[in-house]
Amino acid sequence: MNRIARYSAVALIVGLALVLTLAFRRDPHDIKTGTVGKPAPAFTLPSLADGTSVSLDQYKGKIVILNFWSSWCIPCKEENPALTNVWERYRGTDVVLLGVVFQDSADAARAYTSRLGNTWASAIDDNGQVALSYGVFGPPETYFIGADGVIAGRHIGPIDESTLLTGIETLRKSAKQ
Amino acid sequence: MTGSSRTRWIIVAAILAVGLAIAWSARPQPLTAAARADRISAELRCPVCQGLSVQDSPSETARSMRALVAQRVAEGRTDDEIRAEFQQSYGDWILLSPPLLSPSGLVWLAPLAAVAAGAWLAWRRARAPALATTGNGPTAAELQRLREQVASEPE
Repeated sequence: MNRIARYSAVALIVGLALVLTLAFRRDPHDIKTGTVGKPAPAFTLPSLADGTSVSLDQYKGKIVILNFWSSWCIPCKEENPALTNVWERYRGTDVVLLGVVFQDSADAARAYTSRLGNTWASAIDDNGQVALSYGVFGPPETYFIGADGVIAGRHIGPIDESTLLTGIETLRKSAKQ
Repeated sequence: MTGSSRTRWIIVAAILAVGLAIAWSARPQPLTAAARADRISAELRCPVCQGLSVQDSPSETARSMRALVAQRVAEGRTDDEIRAEFQQSYGDWILLSPPLLSPSGLVWLAPLAAVAAGAWLAWRRARAPALATTGNGPTAAELQRLREQVASEPE
């Protein structure tokens, strides 16, 4: 009896340690559930700059970095230099950087982009339904959409340049194969 | 009819009347669109809150989710279709009561497994003294020695 209780306690502790190890090893910015591995939800939204239609379809065959942001969000401001560098590096190539503003007013978002000098396209998701269809928790959040239109990965929170470059180059390599 | 049997009939009739009134008030009633939207929102987890449903949360995200639920109800979607749309975006996590047949369904099974393990341990423990008595009882020689010792002791 005592031996059974001892073995049970050891098994419980080992199991708990295993669960904790696996849980701590997981990157909290890389949540695989939801839309990752599935086709990116289609959308058509008004452009932040001039109100013309911006749709995901128009970037078919390209790698799309979809960045959800808001002007009031401080981490969005933190990640802005990384996005600017990546935009300058891949401008005019098979990689598109597209912002989606949500939980924000168009005026505040326009003032933000002009203040920071952002020149990549952004669309405004007024009722937040596009963000919900992607499973966004809150700004900022970035989705890596492959040339095949499938979401290859997502990053929750402010993204850095190296994560962006790694994601983009992985997608470019897999698109060439 | 005697007085006591009349009283008995009155009690039976009163119990029946109360039962019928309860059944009538608890009958399934068609929900309004707003009530359906509220019920579905109460089953969804607010993604940016700590343990709050979409129905209870004042956050912007929850407000967008409530609006989307109301829109889908107005479009004539079923409850399952609306829940499935959110599950597709956020996974089973978005449901406050996760489905039994899913990895998150373990939250239902874990307490049952714990109770079963506890019951098994309790059963083993309850049986333990009987086993101990049977296994560790005095041998015939020991008994004989004890009897002789007791007999030799002065009264």
